[in-house]
Amino acid sequence: MDAFYASVEQRDNPELRGKPLAVGGSKERGVVAAASYEAREYGVRSAMPSRTAYRRCPHLVFVKPNFDKYRKVSHQIREIFYRYTDLVEPLSLDEAYLDVSHNKKGITSASKIARQIREEIKAETGLNASAGISINKFLAKVASDINKPNGQKTIMPEEVISFLEELAIAKFYGIGTKTAEKMKSLGIHYGRDLKTWDLALLQQEFGKAGSHFYNIVRGLQKSPVKPERERKSLGAERTFSEDIRGIAAAEKALKEIFEIWISRIQASGLKGRTISLKLKSQNFEVLSRSHSLDQPSNSPEVLWHWAQDLLHQDYKGEALRLIGLSLSNFSELKASSSTQLTLDF
Amino acid sequence: MKFIVSSGALLKQLQIVGGVLNNNNTLPILDNFLLKLEGSQLSILASDLESTISATLEVQGDQDGVAAVPARLLLDGLKALPEQPVTFVTDDSSMTVEISSDYGRYSLAFVEGDEFPKLPEMEDVSTTTVPGEILATAINKTLFAAGNDDLRPVMSGVFFQFSSESLTFVATDAHKLVRYRRNDFKSDNTAEFIMPRKPLNILKSTLVSVGDEVKVHYNETNARFEFENIVLSCRLIDGKYPNYEAVIPKDNPNVLEIERTKFLSSVKRVAIFSNKTTHQVRLKMAGSELQMMAEDVDFSNKAHERLDCSYQGEDMEIGFNSRFLTEMLSNLESDVINLEMSAPNRAGIILPADSLEEGEDVLMLVMPVMLNS
Repeated sequence: MDAFYASVEQRDNPELRGKPLAVGGSKERGVVAAASYEAREYGVRSAMPSRTAYRRCPHLVFVKPNFDKYRKVSHQIREIFYRYTDLVEPLSLDEAYLDVSHNKKGITSASKIARQIREEIKAETGLNASAGISINKFLAKVASDINKPNGQKTIMPEEVISFLEELAIAKFYGIGTKTAEKMKSLGIHYGRDLKTWDLALLQQEFGKAGSHFYNIVRGLQKSPVKPERERKSLGAERTFSEDIRGIAAAEKALKEIFEIWISRIQASGLKGRTISLKLKSQNFEVLSRSHSLDQPSNSPEVLWHWAQDLLHQDYKGEALRLIGLSLSNFSELKASSSTQLTLDF
Repeated sequence: MKFIVSSGALLKQLQIVGGVLNNNNTLPILDNFLLKLEGSQLSILASDLESTISATLEVQGDQDGVAAVPARLLLDGLKALPEQPVTFVTDDSSMTVEISSDYGRYSLAFVEGDEFPKLPEMEDVSTTTVPGEILATAINKTLFAAGNDDLRPVMSGVFFQFSSESLTFVATDAHKLVRYRRNDFKSDNTAEFIMPRKPLNILKSTLVSVGDEVKVHYNETNARFEFENIVLSCRLIDGKYPNYEAVIPKDNPNVLEIERTKFLSSVKRVAIFSNKTTHQVRLKMAGSELQMMAEDVDFSNKAHERLDCSYQGEDMEIGFNSRFLTEMLSNLESDVINLEMSAPNRAGIILPADSLEEGEDVLMLVMPVMLNS
């Protein structure tokens, strides 16, 4: 998200729009948590002491942060991400890595996904977002800064090497000011300079980080996108264009929803104990019914059995506009990259 | 007690009965064979308290008696003797049994027979008769699929299900499952019980040469198998067997038909290059081609094979533990098998396409290993 806290404040308070704005502690003490783009023109940066910021921009407007609000927006954005993939690794409230190699919408172009996500964020939160697209997290992160604000940049696999060679050392994500200074003193100004250093030498100079630098400048990074969020429930539901009537039709619709649901469950690697069925009638009355199993399950057989059972328990044939299924009460077990599936006994 | 017996004939029976011996018994008396002579009938009995076997054989009996004789010593002593008549004589004053052969004499201490634990009498017994060969096949086909998990003892055995329609034998460890059914044999009584692994292993090796019928007696807690000169009784595994029928998927539209040995050799070859923890091999089916892949990313090992097959259904890719596939395919005799599947996250079912006897039904189920996503 571009100037996230500041943008949220400007969105919610028209008087702040177009003004240099800092979110953070008071003028005397504290630091700038976020600066609007207007403030950045004056050299105001996040993490800068408020007093310094003031000196650079005497008409800077200070706003106290409202983290509850940012968290809410952050959730909203994350929900948008989850429409595309469950492999979302939040970096902060306003940044996340997404692995879209296998996305829920079956879109083959990551750049297209990025554009769609940014559009959806704009439409639903009114905020601008930027994106970087590439072959690993490091490159995506670096790329995301290139066309900021409100832009995106794709570093194609074939461009990776030349891109990195020409990248200024201070732009490398993970190389802070101190390290950048040290590198410069060693004659490393660009990626290509860094590349001439062999592994042993880098390790000698920078310790553990040395091998990281050695790899990233070669476009190598194996760290997968680690979804962090604890899911509370996993569901699928559908509103029908025409109301569903009668048990046979309801069961047919349930089966369709079930298939989507079960594939999400299987993809998530989660097992849950509680199966819930939601029915919304023609006149918007919602009926929910759940069943809890003795053991967490992700078995299609078991879940289908209970989904049907729940439907038969409560459905009397009235007109329905929505059917939903959800699984909750997850077990701790998260799937690793390949998992032996187990029969559900 | 005094008798003369062929060393080879006795050794053979001792080896069968010795199958039940444990290496570390809590009760020292269980390290013995209980020998009992009545007329010309010598019975040999061993027990680990859970399972007990006895075998009888014809000897030239001289004087009836009972003695518990150290099992290992007796087995080793007889193994070292070439086939010949040997004489056993007990001396009650010194509590030793003396064995005379052509080469000389050997004596070993024995313990009074009545120290040997008494076997529980079985009450409310029902009986079903099964041909030895069928029982042996049923055990061979199923036992390998049983589990090892101490926390789920019911799955460590084989589930016997007798009804007026068929005899069914099931084993599963929750990753794989085998159901062996005979529709050509029936039981007058409907019964279900779980047989532990050890007595089944003994039965498996003993029944091989048995042409006879086996009488299976059972009640709520115990089972007893009687055939030829052998009686094996054991305690059943207590508990409820999982509802296995519920996990066998019924609708499997994707069917791979392939030569069994060709498929098996391929799995074995490709598996060598698979990940050492998951043993995953991936099958990719499209048209009449099966591709089999394995990969160990950590070591950059890879294998890829293409096989001809007949495949009906949607193109799909599914991963299995190669060890399970190998075990199952090795356990079948058919020339051709069908692997029926529905989706990469649901069980695959292996069915022999030929070589089945009339009334014989074999179903093997294997759960997939989910592919890296």
